[in-house]
Amino acid sequence: MILLKIDQLKPGMILAESVYNQQELLLFEKGASLTKKRIWTLKTWGINHVRIKGERKGNHLTTIEPEGKNKQTIENELQEKFADALDDPVMAAIMKAASRQLQENSNDPENGNEPT
Amino acid sequence: MSQPDLNRIIARVEDLPTLPRTVLRITELVNDPKSSARDLARVITDDQVLAARLLKLVNSSFYGFPQRISTITGAIVLLGFDAIRNLLLTTSVFDLFANRKRISEFSQEQFWDHSLGCAVGAKILGNHLRYDKVEELFVSGLLHDIGKIVEMIFMPEQFSKITRLVQKENILMFSAEEQILGYTHADVGRLLAEKWNLPPKLISVILHHHRPSTAGRFAQEAAIIHLADIFCRALNIGSGGDNKIPQLDKIAWESLKIKTEALEPLIAKTKSGFDDISLFITYTP
Repeated sequence: MILLKIDQLKPGMILAESVYNQQELLLFEKGASLTKKRIWTLKTWGINHVRIKGERKGNHLTTIEPEGKNKQTIENELQEKFADALDDPVMAAIMKAASRQLQENSNDPENGNEPT
Repeated sequence: MSQPDLNRIIARVEDLPTLPRTVLRITELVNDPKSSARDLARVITDDQVLAARLLKLVNSSFYGFPQRISTITGAIVLLGFDAIRNLLLTTSVFDLFANRKRISEFSQEQFWDHSLGCAVGAKILGNHLRYDKVEELFVSGLLHDIGKIVEMIFMPEQFSKITRLVQKENILMFSAEEQILGYTHADVGRLLAEKWNLPPKLISVILHHHRPSTAGRFAQEAAIIHLADIFCRALNIGSGGDNKIPQLDKIAWESLKIKTEALEPLIAKTKSGFDDISLFITYTP
């Protein structure tokens, strides 16, 4: 478990403890995975620090983050799922939109694994 | 559906779980225009678990109220009757089937994520179409596949044959059920919904969600659930036990009159809506 400042948080990190605001309202439960939106929510509630799952070795932080799938994997999985339905233009549009959503999740520049 | 098999299930319908009395009472009160927030609060506070859960939910960031809500009446006034019923029904249905015997190939957690995702997607589609009772759509999405849970609990051997066939041939659960049972989770779900005295609209949606254009006067609602189901499968939100996308019911799609350009924002909203709500309505193994 490591204590991080709010501006060190990245989507995909996992909360090691539940986070409450000053009025003791539960914001996010322990085990929740951070997203851009959740980090934004923490900021708006004036949270400065949160505890994240992972460890610190010297200046290097290892946090638990989901494995990002690359574009090709996402496309292949979707193609297989939609195999029997793609002759319909509406289904093709749905697949395209879903593909963009799934890629946004994994290719998000803020979701990288670079050490902080 | 083959009649002898259906009869077998009907014979066992008495063994199916019942909804908690509190939830039925709450449903009655919500449907009664004469009932007040105080009447509803009285019923909820009788059930301590429900009361505690409701307060936890309204005080969560999902609703984002700036002040702490400490009374049930306060929660009802802020959220409204329909939303309260929806929340309580959701969590009660989850509880009802939690801690049941597990079938290894079928993840109940993934199943509930799929149900919750469809509920969120249906509500978002309902808002887009200016449907006036979006809370009903939420509940419909949540319960549309409930027949699968009944099969898992009451017909464990056949259910495990079905999941094996789904995996082996990579087909829809629906098709595997037709091959093995001669009927599907839609038929089984209808039996449970009837036993629970759910409204006719909900029964119809459960029965027709794979062929929404056959749902008669509830074709619009069934079409919404059908589309939300497709969204969730495309977005990998949970899993209904298979890994295929059902074919689009074209008549149903055309009747909804959704423009193709609107699909992208609707799908994006379904994803973010699910991410938000799933933190607070979670399946507990």
